[in-house]
Amino acid sequence: MNQFPDLTSFSLEAVLTILGMAAVTYGMRLGGLLMADRLPQHGRWAHVLERLPGAVLISVWVPSALSAGAIGIAGAAATVITMALARNLFAAMAVGMVLVGLGRYFIS
Amino acid sequence: MSRPGPAQIGHFDSDTIRRGALACLPLLPSTIIFGAVLGVLASQRGLSLGELLFMSLTVFAGSAQFVSVDLWRETIPAATIIVATAVINMRYILIGASLRPVFKGRPLWVKICGMHMVADENWAVSMTQENLANPGFLLGGGIFLGVVWAAGNMIGYLLGGGIPDPEVYALDFAFTAVFAALTIGMWKGKVDLLPWVAAAIGSIIGHYTLPGTWSILAGAGAGVVTAALTWRPDMDDDSLEAEIAVEGRDAYGAPEGTGTTATLSPEAGK
Repeated sequence: MNQFPDLTSFSLEAVLTILGMAAVTYGMRLGGLLMADRLPQHGRWAHVLERLPGAVLISVWVPSALSAGAIGIAGAAATVITMALARNLFAAMAVGMVLVGLGRYFIS
Repeated sequence: MSRPGPAQIGHFDSDTIRRGALACLPLLPSTIIFGAVLGVLASQRGLSLGELLFMSLTVFAGSAQFVSVDLWRETIPAATIIVATAVINMRYILIGASLRPVFKGRPLWVKICGMHMVADENWAVSMTQENLANPGFLLGGGIFLGVVWAAGNMIGYLLGGGIPDPEVYALDFAFTAVFAALTIGMWKGKVDLLPWVAAAIGSIIGHYTLPGTWSILAGAGAGVVTAALTWRPDMDDDSLEAEIAVEGRDAYGAPEGTGTTATLSPEAGK
């Protein structure tokens, strides 16, 4: 904290590791898109591909709501309901976060 | 079915990039705090600030970076870190695949340039745009999140501690909340019901039975299998139309109900 950290100190090992991480991550990002490009534009595969974003999104937040315990589940439910009614991302996030914040403050 | 203007203008139109960045604004506080927490962790694990920033801008994937920095030692376990990164980020194959309509008809170089700054957050925000977002919108969100993420890293690294605990202000819940809220915007009609239920069940089962982020793949897998099994040829016209239409949500909505009636039981993940 006393001296400014050296921005330019890069060890070869670290750089190679990071490049490896970056390569696999970018490879999967681009690879997923290019693979999807090769799938048929209609029919079963197109139908599956259209359901994919919702399925991924649900699978991202449902487990993390569970990890946050009962208040997390309540917060996620409040967020979803607010969004369905108000169609406002800010409002929906605020309702969920305030509920979780208050819940943690008062309950635990 | 004519497609006027907006969706097909420039690949990385500057106004669209700006709109994409603004759309990710609600994520600023959480991203900066989590970036700072990672910065503190990195300073304890012996990464230099330069290495951390290099990682944040080349890998650009929060949860994988947390795990990797946590595994970081004097002698870097490179193979372990790279394998862990690959496993955690495997969902990007699905995320990349789902971006097909956003990049539809664009040249390869646009895909190559546009797919790097894709995080869960700007992906989700882009996928729920009324007029299905174009690559510029996606990139704008990515650049915004990248800058905020790196700024957070720097703050945490330089302070070396004293970062407020994200849990106190429920900032950790911001990511859960944004994804939960955006799910509503992805609803395209009754065809989504069974795949979504399957995804929820699959991810819940995965959450309790599998380590780490495998629950994402379990849920997405269950959703995909269910979608494949519930497809019927008479849905085909709709999906064709949906691929062509640029008015995302509106175009999907109406006539899809017919095909969905219970052909089979939801194939939940096991």
